[in-house]
Amino acid sequence: MPFRLNRRQIISGMAATGALAAAPLRDAFGQARVQITEGNVAPLPIALPNFVAGTPADAEVGVGVAQVITNNLKRSGLFAPIDQAAYIEKITNIDSPPQFNSWKSINAQALVTGRMTRQGDGRLKAEFRLWDVATGQQLTGQQYFTSPEYWRRIAHIISDQIYERLTGEKGYFDSRVVFIDETGPKERRVKRLALMDQDGANVRYLTRGTDLVLTPRFSPSTQEITYMEFGQGDPRVYLFNIETGQREIVGNFPGMSFSPRFSPDGQRVIMSLQQGGNSNLFVMDLRSKSTTRLTDAPAIDTSPSYAPDGSKICFESDRGGKPQIYVMAATGGAAQRISFGEGSYSTPVWSPRGDYIAFTKQGGGQFSIGIMKPDGSGERLLTSGFHNEGPTFAPNGRVLMFFRDPGGNGGPSLFTVDISGRNEQRVPTPGFASDPAWSPLLS
Amino acid sequence: MKLEKIDKTLVASVALHVLVIGWGLLSFSSKAFELPPQDAVAVDTISEDQLAKVMAGMKSGKKESPKPLVEKVAEAKPPVEDAVGKISEKAPVVTETAPPPEPKPPEKIVEKPVEKKPDPIAEALKKEETKPPPKPQVAAAKPPAPAKPKTERVFDAAKMAALIDKRDPSRQAMTGDTLNSNAALGLAKGKSADNSATWGALFQSQVERCWKKPYGGIEAQKSEAAFVIRLKRDGTLESMPQPEGTPATPFLRVYQESALRAIIECQPYNLPAAFFEEWKFFAPVFTDRRP
Repeated sequence: MPFRLNRRQIISGMAATGALAAAPLRDAFGQARVQITEGNVAPLPIALPNFVAGTPADAEVGVGVAQVITNNLKRSGLFAPIDQAAYIEKITNIDSPPQFNSWKSINAQALVTGRMTRQGDGRLKAEFRLWDVATGQQLTGQQYFTSPEYWRRIAHIISDQIYERLTGEKGYFDSRVVFIDETGPKERRVKRLALMDQDGANVRYLTRGTDLVLTPRFSPSTQEITYMEFGQGDPRVYLFNIETGQREIVGNFPGMSFSPRFSPDGQRVIMSLQQGGNSNLFVMDLRSKSTTRLTDAPAIDTSPSYAPDGSKICFESDRGGKPQIYVMAATGGAAQRISFGEGSYSTPVWSPRGDYIAFTKQGGGQFSIGIMKPDGSGERLLTSGFHNEGPTFAPNGRVLMFFRDPGGNGGPSLFTVDISGRNEQRVPTPGFASDPAWSPLLS
Repeated sequence: MKLEKIDKTLVASVALHVLVIGWGLLSFSSKAFELPPQDAVAVDTISEDQLAKVMAGMKSGKKESPKPLVEKVAEAKPPVEDAVGKISEKAPVVTETAPPPEPKPPEKIVEKPVEKKPDPIAEALKKEETKPPPKPQVAAAKPPAPAKPKTERVFDAAKMAALIDKRDPSRQAMTGDTLNSNAALGLAKGKSADNSATWGALFQSQVERCWKKPYGGIEAQKSEAAFVIRLKRDGTLESMPQPEGTPATPFLRVYQESALRAIIECQPYNLPAAFFEEWKFFAPVFTDRRP
């Protein structure tokens, strides 16, 4: 076969040669190099005018979408949306470039323009463009079609696009949170399984509250939830299908089964089984229903969580006296202790990025949420107080959600915090809320 | 008997202790605690242009300090053409055993190796001999010839240092009749080594105010974005900054864009006009790499 290059290959080859040849030349000129190291890690000022209405009937949804995006970006702590009252230019047509000088003068660094249009077939068309105000470049632009009732999801998806383009990291706005909704007086608290968008909107209750439910966890497909429920007998691990509302018991074991979690491929559920005074880790294949024992120690092994590649698990065990975090191969075997600080460690959860393990730490009369690297180094506490517990990672591994109970007659509520420890925010819920679990991205 | 003896030593011991402790109490406690008065340091705020001038030292610059540099009050010495001294005119280091240098005064003279500070006695003696010049001028950095003849041949350990020291003598306290700590305009070279330290710092402080760094967690610690920029005399960009290389990751792209935004937004740059030739074309490097 003869060796042929197409035009693109020739051009790119020439460009590469040119670049290689130019590099030493540039150095030879030896301009002074001035180092700049101290920028401000400050939220990026962004302008988000209301989306233009394609037809007069779409004005309301245009305002709603802009508000949801503004709220998402603001809550992330990485953006500072500029108040709409300060805008000089009114965007009426998103197909022509905006007047960048008028956005520069209000210090906007990025500008989002968009349009919502109801189609003839009843669907909603959403378009947006993200502009770099300084350079006048369009950074990204997309259009989507959806049913009108899913306008909030479209707003979350656009938020993710903006977040990803301006931070270089995946977003997390198009995701849900399952949690335990708590109502009623403290001694007769009704606990229901509830589902909401990550920003607290669209709350749905999945159980009626007749039985106590705990530790819900999402499946990677986001269609199923596994949780523990105190029924008539021992607490059991259940599977719940969000779409159909069906639920089933995972395995039929003598004694209590608890703290379940899905494997990254969604094919297995790992959990603790009580055996006498001890509890051990087991993994159950959801298709074949076969169960494999992973630990066999005279201790309480619980709260297992898979690494994102599924090769390892981290879990909590008191085999060394106090509860500490251990890491071992997903197939079982020798476990290595990774937590060595003062106090006890519990509820470890592996980040979806694989870089950190978040945990609850108890010591000195306080409960803290912290992170450490999977080898146990770099431990950092993000928040401390009377009672903080149950961390769960956002799909991009940048944000943690947990629940905080201030003590007294109140009840727990949900909070988010950046893994840097900054930007702590309360998540709005209808009542008290605990045990959150963040879903992967929905799309 | 025995008891008495023991008692005596005990008494002596107690008496001694009382004495020592009493003396200590008196002498140590009686000293008042005094804080030496602090010297006030005057700080002047100067403009960027003034700073640039201090650093640059243009030979052709306007003379702002008519008085010559004087650090010591003493009899002024006649000026020497070359204050720093040329290598060829390096004063020969004289040792006890070395042959004396070709002497200007006839007799064998043991010339003192050139030292940093002039001999006060020698100067006092010289006062008698030399007539003051009409104008006080910058003193010689290297008084080559007329040193005081010394006849005693004494081993002086201090001279060993001079023997080992092969450096050119280049600095000597300037003497004159009134103190004036202001150096004349400029250094010997006419320019400081690299003025980019001056205008670079100015550029840096201005562009940093506009730079909103993206927060990238762990990845951010290795980020770097370099550009080549051309500025006009008024401090505005002549053309769009040219990024060096294409970013390898989405985060590096965002990092580069944030730096680009900062360069564009912060113009015009207020940089010293004297160095326009240097800052009209240079490479700002935005970096989080710590050495």
